[in-house]
Amino acid sequence: MARHDDGVVTVGRSRIGTFFANTTGIVFGLVMIFPVYWVLNTAFKPDSEVRSFTPTFFPNDFTLDNFRSALGEELFIPSMINGLIITAMAVAAALVVGFLAALAIARFSFYGRKAIILIILAVQLVPFLALLIPLFLMLQGANLTNSLVGVALVYLVLLLPYTVWTLRGFISGIPRELDEAAMIDGCTRAQVFWRIILPLTGPGLVATSVYGFIQAWNEFIIINTLNNPQKQNLMAWLLYNQTERGTAWGPLMAGAIITSIPVVVFFLIIQRNIATGLTAGAVKG
Amino acid sequence: MRHGKYPFIIGFLAVPVALYAIFVVGAYLQMFRLSLTDWSGYGTFKDIGFDNFVKLWNDEVIWTALRHNGFLLLVMPIVTIAIALLFAFLLNVGGGSKGGMTRGVWGSKIYRVVFFFPQLLALALVAVIFQRVYGPDKSGMINGLLPDSWEPWLFLADEKWALTCILIVLIWQAVGFYVVLFSAGMGSIGQEIYEAAALDGASRITLFFKITLPLLWGNIQVAWIYLGIAAFDAFALVNIMTVNQGGPNNSTQVLSMQIYLNAFKYSQAGYASAIGVVLFFLALSFAWLTLRVTRSDSVEA
Repeated sequence: MARHDDGVVTVGRSRIGTFFANTTGIVFGLVMIFPVYWVLNTAFKPDSEVRSFTPTFFPNDFTLDNFRSALGEELFIPSMINGLIITAMAVAAALVVGFLAALAIARFSFYGRKAIILIILAVQLVPFLALLIPLFLMLQGANLTNSLVGVALVYLVLLLPYTVWTLRGFISGIPRELDEAAMIDGCTRAQVFWRIILPLTGPGLVATSVYGFIQAWNEFIIINTLNNPQKQNLMAWLLYNQTERGTAWGPLMAGAIITSIPVVVFFLIIQRNIATGLTAGAVKG
Repeated sequence: MRHGKYPFIIGFLAVPVALYAIFVVGAYLQMFRLSLTDWSGYGTFKDIGFDNFVKLWNDEVIWTALRHNGFLLLVMPIVTIAIALLFAFLLNVGGGSKGGMTRGVWGSKIYRVVFFFPQLLALALVAVIFQRVYGPDKSGMINGLLPDSWEPWLFLADEKWALTCILIVLIWQAVGFYVVLFSAGMGSIGQEIYEAAALDGASRITLFFKITLPLLWGNIQVAWIYLGIAAFDAFALVNIMTVNQGGPNNSTQVLSMQIYLNAFKYSQAGYASAIGVVLFFLALSFAWLTLRVTRSDSVEA
């Protein structure tokens, strides 16, 4: 805390309080980080060391075997590809459908607008698990079980409320005067949407697509119920595989790391803007 | 801006409305319909009126599950919001002040990233990891750290503490997100407000209760709703972590787990749908109550 001791007058703050605050921060930080550290620690340990009753805080024999054995599993790569296809379909569709719906809600007043907003919000409030049975029946009836498209459709419905709500916040933040000025200059309404509102909603589109990616990529209950073992995503495969063979912690943790990589990469890219994305939905308009 | 807006409105809303009509409204209608039948999940079924609901009323496991949901609903949001507020505050204005400028505790930039870590791990992976943290013998993470002379703690295998173990994971997982959310909210509170208060000699505690808390109220309300829903669900953790999916001896049983078990394990899809109907109305009442309290802030459009 040397930086505090450079002769600057501190106002209204006791040094003991500062020390206490810093300590709390460190302790809490450790609690938050410890399980994550432990995943890494386990993934790089050989099996004998993982099973040992005396915990080691760093792998004594650093090894990549766990990653090799996870990647070598028969269904690992196919499940990863399934997950990517489903996620891409669901997120892309949610962006297009969600952006247009948000436009309609943010830029027009019409009969039933409030009802639509309420329904969008209400759906988010009910645990989706209650719908698992009827959804299974519907998709079965439409021949969409054991299919990537069926799962993507369900994910699209799950992602829409957040997408519409967040984008609506962003669009409401764009002054209507911009639309009007552009229309006076001869833009059609469609051109206003395409050339003015869409680019200005950019950060919102990024935020919602990252959120959508994480949700769809990490989902496992719906896909596990709808699809057979050949058509799972990586998360469902990982969990299913765990119960199947008893727990091989090393490869499981290695698999967990691989599963988390896309999410971490996304996070690092948009880290700075995350807070903006989170709060934008709350903007009134 | 009046003429020709309806083609846009209809065109823009047709797809989402259709999706909702089929996958949400349609699905709920079907759930209501099935809740009045004795359907097993395969083959044919017949209508049995409200028999499922009578059975529900007399089902002790359901009442136990309901109590557990209630416990999570009461404790989880309060504790999560309290911890998140405290840390968001520490990160933003809790550190020393320098030349009248308030700032976060030492290392607050790192914490901002660290607190988001749990968000990067899927809930399912968090469940798997904490299974290991809670391991009931010396290979468990906590028990491994305890002195050798101690009896190992049972955690999830202990009827008394199993639900609390789940609660802790729920909080651990959620807290980071709300630290970031509240931090963003605090960031939008003008520095000069804090500076003025600090110059007047306000302590950290005064700053927190007189400035931060009132100005963040909107964010807190949103957090409350989301956490409440997470507490209603809790399925992923209970499903993956607990002994016998809701055990030991139903001590971690929750409604969503009951739906799943009845529908896909016990071949009682009709009964599971009836539980679904109950969950639906409970969740909606919770949301309605919360929205009523916060009406002017969040539903205005």
